[in-house]
Amino acid sequence: MPKHSDEALVAYLDGELDGAERHHVEAWLEADPAVRDRLAALAQSADLVRSAYADIVNEPVPPRLIAAASGAGRAAQAAPQEAEILVLKRQSRTAAALPYRRWQVGLAAAAGLFGVVFGGAGTYFGMGLFNPASPAAETRLAAVAANNSWLDNAAGYYKLTVNAGDNMLIDVPATSDTSEALQKISQSLPQQVRLPDLKPWGLSFRGARLVVVDGRPAAQLVYITDNKAIGPLTLVIGASKQPDIPRTFERRQDVNLLYWRHQGRAYALAGQTDIGWLWGIANDVAWQLDAI
Amino acid sequence: MSFRWKHAEAPARPIDHSGERADPASARFSEQLIAMLPKLRRFARGLAGNAAGADDLVQSACERALARAHQFEEGTRFDSWMFRIVQTIWIDQLRAREVRKEDGDVAEERLGTDEPVRRIEARLALSEIRLAVENLPPDQRATLMLVTVEGLSYKEAAVVAGVPVGTIMSRLARARVALQQQLDAGGGVRRSAKNAEA
Repeated sequence: MPKHSDEALVAYLDGELDGAERHHVEAWLEADPAVRDRLAALAQSADLVRSAYADIVNEPVPPRLIAAASGAGRAAQAAPQEAEILVLKRQSRTAAALPYRRWQVGLAAAAGLFGVVFGGAGTYFGMGLFNPASPAAETRLAAVAANNSWLDNAAGYYKLTVNAGDNMLIDVPATSDTSEALQKISQSLPQQVRLPDLKPWGLSFRGARLVVVDGRPAAQLVYITDNKAIGPLTLVIGASKQPDIPRTFERRQDVNLLYWRHQGRAYALAGQTDIGWLWGIANDVAWQLDAI
Repeated sequence: MSFRWKHAEAPARPIDHSGERADPASARFSEQLIAMLPKLRRFARGLAGNAAGADDLVQSACERALARAHQFEEGTRFDSWMFRIVQTIWIDQLRAREVRKEDGDVAEERLGTDEPVRRIEARLALSEIRLAVENLPPDQRATLMLVTVEGLSYKEAAVVAGVPVGTIMSRLARARVALQQQLDAGGGVRRSAKNAEA
């Protein structure tokens, strides 16, 4: 590398020069004001580039990527028996339908997969590309598929948030006035979000994120605590057209989930805590939000 | 009727309703991958130049990473390994696109299908900077993203790109100088960016 070159200036800015090389560049800068201007311009352009890409890491990650990172596609490939069940092309109503029992087995087996295989299936159902044994079965299966996808996404966002540690992605950070934070996040959602107070459980509200769950916007509320036996926890609140269901336990890899639906809203409390704690906190949340 | 459950009434132990546990190593691998997604999307955005193409790239990279998880060496940098996979897939895509052009396809940029979009974007200072990055040759663009945006050292970037450190140094210098010239020629970009920040 020539001592007096753009390469030397850029490497100097990036802190990549050793002692002797650094001294050469500093002497050059000292001697020539034009070089100092050039260095300043190069530094400024680097700052601009960083700024131009800074916000991308704060964007909600599409569910399909969380599913891909969770191995949903591979799991589906590794289980051809389950995959066979999903007939992803239009069939005539007169075509012989697969026995409903086989569908049930396939769904139960695939329900353990941490992915959106069935999320996609839900879409196919909705588009009429699939024709199971009966309309009632179709409705039931579509509901199961949509639910699985929803929970996969909720678990995926939990992992994303927790793994980020101190660099946790928060769209609306908690302030002393939490109502302001919730108002901001609610602006992007079809309904107003309310904040459960979980301080009695030692959980502090860290902030909220706007996420996309199963293709629809939802709020992810993040709670943290020093007690590693309990937290962190996230609560995803989204809209749902499915009928109400009571609190139900599900597990995705090492994430425990308690989810329920109430009056057009779907809730999923996610964490790695003991199911006992999770159950108690979920009940508290439901009671506070009048969601039971 | 609303009521609170007492904690003592709840089950005391976690219950695995799936009936099976995921392989812990595989679960850890997926966790790392999910945590990397925001940075992978950013890196891919710099390479692909648009959100949809970038996400396709990241999705392919995730699938390839999971298929080759056994090739990842514990103790080495996971982010560098993933950046390398993204970059490799992107280069493959560029090559495939070149082949299609030779086969007679008209390149999208020549058709100018997204020109109106580009013009709108160019009104925004930060988008204009992204366009300037997009105009860089692929190897310079990738190096700029790895070092200047993702903060890798020259040595780490050299491992990702599979080239000597000296090559990274020269690619980066050419990229930064070309970028600065583009921004200067663009007129007012830096002023606009300052205003945007203000």
